[in-house]
Amino acid sequence: MESKVDEASDRRAQHSKPMNHSQLPSSSIQDSSFNRVLILPPELITEILLRLPVKSLLKFRCVSKSWLSLISSPEFVNTHLSTCVNNTEYTHHRLMLGLDKGLKVYSVRSLLYEDESVEATHLDFPTKGYFSIVGSVNGLICLRTGPNNMLLWNPSMRKLKNCTAFIAAPKGVFYLWGFGYDEVHDDYKVVRMFYAINGGNSCDVKVEIYSLKSDSWKGIDGFQYGKIHSCLGKLVNGKLHWITSGAHPGSNDGDIIFIDLADEKWGVLEQPCHGENEFYFNLGVLGSYLSVFRTYQSTWADVWVMKEYGVKESWAKIYTIKFDEDIPKHGRSPLFCKSNKGGEN
Amino acid sequence: MAEASSSITEKFFLTLKSSDGDEFVLEESIAIQSITIKNMVEDGCSSSVIPLSKVDTETLIKVIEYMKMHSSTSSNEEEIENFDKKFVSNSINTILNILEAANFLDINNLLELCAEAVANRIKNKTPEAVRKIFNITSDFTPEEEAEIRNETPWAFEGNLDHSLD
Repeated sequence: MESKVDEASDRRAQHSKPMNHSQLPSSSIQDSSFNRVLILPPELITEILLRLPVKSLLKFRCVSKSWLSLISSPEFVNTHLSTCVNNTEYTHHRLMLGLDKGLKVYSVRSLLYEDESVEATHLDFPTKGYFSIVGSVNGLICLRTGPNNMLLWNPSMRKLKNCTAFIAAPKGVFYLWGFGYDEVHDDYKVVRMFYAINGGNSCDVKVEIYSLKSDSWKGIDGFQYGKIHSCLGKLVNGKLHWITSGAHPGSNDGDIIFIDLADEKWGVLEQPCHGENEFYFNLGVLGSYLSVFRTYQSTWADVWVMKEYGVKESWAKIYTIKFDEDIPKHGRSPLFCKSNKGGEN
Repeated sequence: MAEASSSITEKFFLTLKSSDGDEFVLEESIAIQSITIKNMVEDGCSSSVIPLSKVDTETLIKVIEYMKMHSSTSSNEEEIENFDKKFVSNSINTILNILEAANFLDINNLLELCAEAVANRIKNKTPEAVRKIFNITSDFTPEEEAEIRNETPWAFEGNLDHSLD
């Protein structure tokens, strides 16, 4: 590529006026508007390719050796990923719903903008049996397919990895999963916990963590928070978050706990202050913030976000939602959250 | 920087010269959307004609149209949006020329608009069409190319666009 570009600029320097057709190699004249040999510098080729979907990039690997090496380079792959993730128009964002007959995928952009019709497609399903979505990060999806089995799936590349957990869990235990990205080690990790439901609040929770980079599981000690109420870990700031069961599962005496995916240590996050009213709460991710969804007496809900991660004073109430009488009491939880900063839940 | 002493209400004009030798007079406040030109003005190199040896007349006319629309205080958002939509419907070769000029002139918005437009136009095209548009000769042997295609055959399925525009 380099040598071609140099050649091209030299030629251009010699001809201050555009070249006429007789000066062009005949193979280049494909269209009457092609009035000079246009050979773009590599940085402009990169600018264009960064804006293409993965399927087109895979197709264009066979254009030339220089395109193949550009598209395959880790630097390009990382920039392409962050360009897609940070796209504020949500061009590449998809909302995925697991339905009875498989996975349905909605274009987020088409859901957000009223003037566009909703685009929905069925995804080619990677597994025939039972499955449930654990989470997704950077276009990589984690599905659990059984008590000890999961799939890591990249639908854009159509690549699939089957994993079996290290410790085979005994029957009759309660499972919790979480999936996230460890930026420090550039690694994708799955956390699985289980404990026997034996009444009372004391229980022995087994925690293990899978690293995609090393393709291995290991046990994690130091869990001392009793039972966990919420099922799927919410990823914010490189940490997976759950709510513990207090004396009344799901009510306001639970704690927000987290595991840091980089050092694999547990911790507790302080919650926003609350008054006397009794509420039930759920965790979510709003934009890049951890959010708390508090439901009061089935009549209204407050949505809080932690604007500065780890700082209790930065919790801010951003919405209050009143419920309609005719919505069933237990069918309420946020499905999708959006912010101007990008990201989705 | 002799102009600096003139009255502040006076409009400054710059003369831009294309690679074909055509000259265009443009208000300085519009032209300095190009960081390359802005730097020249700040360095005091703009008192005479600014030669743009890498931009031909046809392309420079388009770039000036874009800068006028995007700097004018009278254009509202809707007007700009409609202008951009029409702008990217130019032939792909014209857009590639503008992209190259936007890179040389350092006009970031225009560069992004053109790169996005080219990506949209080529995403469904065949590798053969893309080679012709970018003047690339394949340096793979037929066996090597077949091997790459076989790694992800599904990426070559669907309605592929063979056109060159």
